[in-house]
This record gives sequence, C-alpha cells and structure tokens, in this order.
Amino acid sequence: MLLKLAWRNVFRQKRRTILTLLTMTGGFFLSSLSIGWMDGSYSSIIMFFTNNRTGQIQVHCKGYLQSPSIYSTVNDYQAAGVFLDSIPGVRAWAPRIYSGALLAVRPRGAGSGNVFTNSAAASVIGIDPVMEEAASGFSSQIESGEMLSSSAADTSYSATGQIILGKELSIILEASAGDSLVMLTQAADGSSADRMYVIRGIVSTGNANIDRNTCYITLSDAQILFALQGKVHEIAVMTGSLGAVDELTAKISAGLSGENLETDSWKTFAREFYNGMKADEASLKVMIFVIVLVAAMGVLNTILMMVLERRREFGVMKAIGTRPGFIVRMIVLEANIMGIISVIAGGILSTAGLLFLSEHGFAMDPPLDYGGTVFREMIASITPECYWIPAICVIITASTVSFLPALKAAHTKAAKTLRTV
Amino acid sequence: MTDNDVIVAEGVVKTYDDSGVPVHAIRGIDYTLAKGEFTAIIGPSGSGKTTFLNVLAGLDTPTEGEVWLSGKLISDMSGKELSDFRRDHIGFIFQAYNLFPVLTAEENVEYVMLLQGIPPGERHERVMAILKKVGIAEYAGRLPMQLSGGQQQRVAVARAMVSRPSLVIADEPTANLDSKTSGALLDMMRRLNEETGVTFLFSTHDEIVMKRARKIVVLRDGKIDGKASLEDC
Ligand SMILES: Nc1ncnc2c1ncn2[C@@H]1O[C@H](COP(=O)(O)OP(=O)(O)O)[C@@H](O)[C@H]1O
Ligand SMILES: [Mg+2]
Repeated sequence: MLLKLAWRNVFRQKRRTILTLLTMTGGFFLSSLSIGWMDGSYSSIIMFFTNNRTGQIQVHCKGYLQSPSIYSTVNDYQAAGVFLDSIPGVRAWAPRIYSGALLAVRPRGAGSGNVFTNSAAASVIGIDPVMEEAASGFSSQIESGEMLSSSAADTSYSATGQIILGKELSIILEASAGDSLVMLTQAADGSSADRMYVIRGIVSTGNANIDRNTCYITLSDAQILFALQGKVHEIAVMTGSLGAVDELTAKISAGLSGENLETDSWKTFAREFYNGMKADEASLKVMIFVIVLVAAMGVLNTILMMVLERRREFGVMKAIGTRPGFIVRMIVLEANIMGIISVIAGGILSTAGLLFLSEHGFAMDPPLDYGGTVFREMIASITPECYWIPAICVIITASTVSFLPALKAAHTKAAKTLRTV
Repeated sequence: MTDNDVIVAEGVVKTYDDSGVPVHAIRGIDYTLAKGEFTAIIGPSGSGKTTFLNVLAGLDTPTEGEVWLSGKLISDMSGKELSDFRRDHIGFIFQAYNLFPVLTAEENVEYVMLLQGIPPGERHERVMAILKKVGIAEYAGRLPMQLSGGQQQRVAVARAMVSRPSLVIADEPTANLDSKTSGALLDMMRRLNEETGVTFLFSTHDEIVMKRARKIVVLRDGKIDGKASLEDC
C-alpha cells in the first residue's frame, strides 16, 4: 500500500513529474556520456600511444627508467623473448637499443669527399625490422622511402648502413630518402664510432616532438655500432587490450625476476601521461558533480512544491494516526520511484548515445594535442562505469533531496493544516 | 470520572497567538462525554467549536486545563502514543471529506487498518462490510473525485468507523452538503451509533443536523452556554 500510494502520488501531477523525470534522465544521460566518452578517449589515446611506440609493458635493466644509460642492458633478450612468447595475452614484443649520435648529411651528387651540409644531434633507436613491424606496425608510419631491411652493415662494421629519419629531423637536415649521412657516436666499450648511412625512408609517427630528433637503424647494426652484441636496452611488450595490463605486468615481472630486470606498465613509464589522465578524471568528477547539482535543484524544487501542496493530506494522515516515519518513507519512496524511472530511461538513452558515439566518434575541433600526438576524432567506450556511477548519483540525489522535505511533511501539525477557514 | 466517560475535560483554555495578539478561542470549559452519546456541539461561527474538538481529540494542546480520553491523560502521552491512540480509539470525519485523492474508496477505508497492522484478508472483509453499511459498496473501486460529496462523506464515515474506535469526532460534517444529503448522512450516523454503541461528537450550525442529535452542547465565545436553547443558534 505504501508503494501503491507513492506510485500514484508520483503520477498525480503528470506535467511536473515528467519535467522532473526529464531533469533526472538528462542528468543521467549527460553523466553517462561524459564517462563513456572520457573512458573511450583515454583508451584510444593510450592504445594509440602504446601501440605506436612504447608498448603497454616494457622490460628494462633495473634502474634504466630512472637514469637511462647505454650500459644498462637486457643482456639475454632472446631468452626473455622466449618467456614472453609463452605468455598468453602477449601479442608481440620488440627489442630496442637506445643511444645518441651526431648526424651529418652529404647530399646526393656531392661526390665522396667530406662535404657535409647540415648536421644535427639525434636519438638513435635500433629496431628489429621484423619484430618491430609485428609489434608497432612501423612501416605504416613511413611517409616516403622504405622500411629498413637487413643489410651488410648488420654484420660488417665497415659496410654502409641504412637509416630512417623522423620527418621533422629530415626537414632540419634537409635530407630525403636516398641521401647519405655520416653518424658519429660512442660505443659502449668507449671507442668512438662513425659509419656511413643511406637514408632508406622518412617516418612520421604522429608525434612531432619525437620525429624531430629520432632516427632508426637495424638492431644488429646498432649492436655492432655500439658494441652491444646480443644486448638491448628495452623490450616493448604489446598486449591486446589495456584491461589485462596490470595482471600481465605482474606475471612478466615474476617470470623475469632473477635477471636484474624490471618490468613496468605504461602507468609507470608514461607517468606524466598517466597523471594527466588522472587530473582529467578529476575534472570529469567536477563536471558530474555540477550535473548532479543542477538535477538535484530541479528535484528539490519538485519535492518542495509537492510537499507544500499536499500539506492538508499530511495533516489528515497525522490526525488519523499515521506515524511520521510512514510519511517520510512515502515521500522518499516517491522520489526514488522517479529516480528509478530516470535510471531506466537514462540507461536506454545513454546506451543509444554511447553506441552512436562508439561507432561514429566525436570530431575534435580543434584537434586534441597530447604531447605532440594529435587526435582528431574520439570514440566513446561503453563501460559499466557509464551506468552505475550515474545510477548511484541519481538514487543518492533523490534520497537526500527528498529527506528534509519528507521530515517537514512528517511533522505537519494536523490541527493547523486542517482548518478550513 | 467514571469508566463510562469517553472524554473528560477540566478547565480547558485555548488561547491562540495571532502575531502577538492573544485570541481566546476557549475560555475555560469543563465537559464530560459519556459512552454511547450522539452529541452535537453547536454555536455560531468563531465560537470555538473546531478548537474545542481539536483539543478533545488530542490534535491540539490546551493552553490550560486537562483532557482525559478513555481515562488517559492526554498531556501524559508522548507524540507517538497520542498518534497511536488516535489511530486505535478515535475516528475522524472532516468538513471537507479529506479522502486521499489517489486512493479508491475501498483503499481509503483500508488505510487505517494498514496502520493498525491488520492482515490483508481481514482488512478486505471489514472494508466491504462497512462500505455496505454506509451504502456505497458498489462504488468501492472509485476514486474520491468520481464520487459526489455525499458519497465521499459516507466513505469518510466508513474510514472513521472501520478501525472500531470508541469515539468518532466530526467537525461540521455536513457543511459542504445539501440539506437532503445532510439529513440522510446524519440518519446513517445515528443508526451506526445505535447499532454499534460508538460515541459520536460532532459540531454543526446546521438545523437538520441538530434535530437529529440526542444531546446538544451550545458554545458561545469559547464557553459552554448552559442556559441556551436550540432556538438561539
Ligand atoms: N490558528 C489560529 N490562530 C489565531 N486565531 C485562531 C486560530 N484558529 C482559530 N482562531 C480563532 O479562534 C476562534 C475560534 O475559532 P474556531 O474554533 O475555528 O471556531 P468555529 O469552529 O466555531 O468557527 C476564532 O475567533 C478564530 O478566529
Ligand atoms: Mg469550525
């Protein structure tokens, strides 16, 4: 009967109830979409970042992340790789060598003398062309020229090597595919090294900061050049999805624990990025809070009006012996009935909205620039959070906002409100 | 005070505070209502009828004086006790019917028994029995707005009676009804009084109602006028 009373009371003032339901449903919808969109944006940004470059998990020599040094190496990367291949959930892995060098370009047709036009310092990354391709799809980012292939330089120090330049670096050097350059660097054994390279291709990773100062040579070449035979600095591990990262990190860490190695997830090695994401999550919370607040005002207004209009009824209820608790429960229940209807309606609407946004995305205008990587379109993802967070907000709002008016109604003075004059 | 008294009031004074100005609605009343009475409180508008009934029913607290209901001193009862006492011992009929608009006639009557914690089966039986008695069993499923004033007031009588109270209090129950309907309603109430022995105390300034009362108390300026006769009103 309490439920029956509450239910019918909700639909007494149809217009006002519908307005209130719209407010609450709208609040649900907006919160839900914000969450889905934010989740989706992060997932796609993180996946973009990690798939293109860093991987979701990285294995290094202990301490490498804090102070990268040419001497801090993963010494038996092949063995680590065998272990990684045995773990389900590891999609691919790529060994890399990181160092620095000075590049000086000799344009085509300049003969073989020591005529250099432009020079620049750059990070040199040694990559295994086949494994890198499997892990990050490197060749798809090549803008002109071709991907690295194995060459004579992989086995002979004196042979000419192949190099790929980042796009902005190639602009600085005024070099293009087919040009030659000389690389001056220092090997791990302390000897100075220099070698001739032919520019094989130009790469654009989508991150201008990286492309401004990075060049790529083959891993075997790098091992010879830097005197790091059989060693690498980093193994980037690609997983299928973000969800499994923490668990996989723990698994890999446990499996490689004896080797003076360290396994980290993107949350650690891309800490700035992760923190930025956390900060954005805080702003999402503020936004949801504001949405809830606006909806709460609407609901409070409705409940207050309703309580005022029905004072006489509450007076009768009190006169004939209804206890205050009954009236409180009735009104809070009325608010929650509206809340539940809004959650259902909001859930349906949000699902439609999220499905649309997860298919069609949301054009970013102006495009979003995350540390040099530009995102033009964001896609929403549908997660449980898109539903339970707004649902809890709606129900808590309905309950809190109705409680005080309910108390007021419950303490209506029967003698006063029943007077007809 | 005897076991036979439903209400005993001693030295009741009720003074309202109308933004600083004292309004003396009841100016010292001693009154006893015995079991089974069918009594009308009459008096002109503003004479204090409503105030007096509210104080007697425990809806309002007197400024001075004491009220005993079935031997219990109202001022000794907590709010909850008083509320439960009203639920179990007093039936109310109001001038403006005051049925719950969202509940059907049947549900309106059932409501009090719900508060009393009576099981659904018994509730239904008692509702139908009382609705039959007040002559509107066929409208049990209707909402108040689908009933005439007279029919609504019959539902109100049923609601007041269904909890088997010892006292029914009605403040001007016929004020919104035409004379024919008023007479019929009062006849029905009188019949219920005779059949069940429930005490009725009602206020009115309607002659049709007065004529059917078995006892009349005249209120004038917040006092019982012992010498007044029917014609004075
Ligand atoms: N809440 C109140 N505040 C101030 N004066 C009141 C209040 N209620 C009633 N009165 C006054 O008390 C007197 C008695 O009123 P009432 O009991 O309603 O008389 P009746 O029911 O006989 O018309 C009137 O003068 C009325 O104006
Ligand atoms: Mg009155």
